[in-house]
Amino acid sequence: MSMRMLPARLSVFRAPWFFGLLVLAALVLHPGVASAQQQMSKRFPAGNSIRLVIRNISGKVIVESWDRTEVKITATIESPAANVAPKQLRDGVMVDVMGDNRGRGDIGNVNFKIQVPANFIVDIETRMGDITIANIRSKQVRAHVTSEGDIELIGIVASEVFAQNLSGNIFFDGEVSRGGSYQFQSGKGDISIRIPASSVFDLNASALDKKLALGGFWNSGFRTVGEGQRFSKTTVDVNDGRAKLVIRNFEGGITFVRR
Amino acid sequence: MNCEKCQDLIHDLVDGALSREDSAVLNQHLDDCLSCADVRNDLQAIVSFCQQNRGQYLAPPNEQALWLRIRNVIEAETAVPAPATPVKRSFWPAWLGRSWELSLPQLAAAVAALVVVVSLATAVVIRRADSTDPNITNNRTQRGIGAVAATNVRDRFSQQEQAIAYWNQRVELNKERWNAQMRETFDRNLQVIDQAVNNSLNELTRNPHDEVSEEMLNAALNEKLALLKEFSDL
Repeated sequence: MSMRMLPARLSVFRAPWFFGLLVLAALVLHPGVASAQQQMSKRFPAGNSIRLVIRNISGKVIVESWDRTEVKITATIESPAANVAPKQLRDGVMVDVMGDNRGRGDIGNVNFKIQVPANFIVDIETRMGDITIANIRSKQVRAHVTSEGDIELIGIVASEVFAQNLSGNIFFDGEVSRGGSYQFQSGKGDISIRIPASSVFDLNASALDKKLALGGFWNSGFRTVGEGQRFSKTTVDVNDGRAKLVIRNFEGGITFVRR
Repeated sequence: MNCEKCQDLIHDLVDGALSREDSAVLNQHLDDCLSCADVRNDLQAIVSFCQQNRGQYLAPPNEQALWLRIRNVIEAETAVPAPATPVKRSFWPAWLGRSWELSLPQLAAAVAALVVVVSLATAVVIRRADSTDPNITNNRTQRGIGAVAATNVRDRFSQQEQAIAYWNQRVELNKERWNAQMRETFDRNLQVIDQAVNNSLNELTRNPHDEVSEEMLNAALNEKLALLKEFSDL
C-alpha cells in the first residue's frame, strides 16, 4: 500500500504552487527580512496643541492636514532601527529622533507620514531626506534639510515660511500673506515659487550663477543688483507691510510662476 | 508732726482744704517751728497777691522793644547760616551794562581772538560741505572702501575658517561610526558648500565691491559651519 501511495506524494512535491509557498515562507521567516522594517503608529488628541516638531536624522517626512482634531504619526523604521518615541508636549507633539539617538551614528532611515489639523504650526528638520508638507494654513511652516533632500511645500498659507536645504530642489506652492516673512535657501538645486498673480511682495533674491526668472512678476518694479545676480525692490518699500521674500541660491536657479 | 510732712500740708492749709483736726495739729507745729512758719507766710503772701491782682499784670515799660528783642533772640538761635547768595543778574543786562573801557593791548588781544575764532569756524564749515558733496565723498570713499572691504572679508573668512577647522576635527572623530550612505551624503554636500565658498571668493576677487557675493560668502560659510556642527552630533 505504501508503494502505491508513493507516486501520489511525488506529484504533490512537483506542484509549482507548493514551491512558491515554500519560497514565500522562507522569505517571511528569514530573520534579515523580518527585521528590515518596523512600523510604528501613534495618535494624539489635538486638544490645545498647535505645533508639530520633528527632528529626524534621515528618511522622508510627509506632513499633511486632515479634518480630524488629532495627530496621527506613522513611521517606517529601517534597520538598524532608530529609537522613535513621539512625545506630547504642552503645546504640541514632538518626535526627536536626533535627540533620542545621539551618538549612535549608524542607524537606518525613519520615514514619517504625519497627519495634523490644518491650523498646526509645522516645524520639520532632518539631516538628510525629502520633506513634503501639504495643505497647512497656520502661522508658521518650517522645513530644514541640513544636507540633501527635496522640499515641497504645497497648498501652504502661512505668515512665516522657511525652507532650506543644501542639495535638492525647493518648491513652494501657496500664498504670501501681507506682512509675512518667507525665506528659501538652497545650496545646489532649483527654487520654484508658485504664488497667485495678485501677490504683492518685496523680493530680495540672490543667485550666484545668475539664473533668476521672475516670470510674470517681472513688471512689478524689481531691479537687478550686482551684475544681475540679484533682483531686489528698493529698500524704501521694505517696511510698507507687504510680504517679504528672501531667496538665496548658491548653485541653481530661482523661478517664479504665477498661479 | 515733722517739718517734711508739715510743708506737704501747708498748701492745703493756705487753700483752706484741711480738716479742723489736721489744721490744729499743723498750726501747733507752725507755732513751734520758725522755718515752716516762714514757708507758710511766703506762700500766703503769693496767694493773696495773685488773688488781689487777677488779670491786672503790669505791662513792660516798652512792649514793642521787648517783642523785638525776643524775636531777635529767637532768630539768632534758630537761623542756619546760609551761604551768601549773590544777587543774580541775567547775562545780557550785566554784559550790556558793563563799562567797556579797554586799553590798547586789551583791544588788540580781543581782535586777535576774534580772527582765530572766525578762521576755525570757516574751516569747519568748508569741511562739512565737502563731506556732503556726493562727488567728493565717492571719490574719497571709493579709494578706501575696496581695500577695507577686501581686508574685512579676508579677516572674517580666516576667523570662520578657524571655527570650521575645529568642527571638522570633531566630525572626523565621529565619521567612522556613520554608515556609508551618511558618509557619502556628508562629503557630497561639503563639496557643494565649498564650491559656493570658492565661487563667492572668485567673484569677490574679480569685483571687491560686489555686495551680493560678499553676502553669499557669509551665508555659505555659515552653512558650512552649520553642516559640520549638526553632523558632529551624529
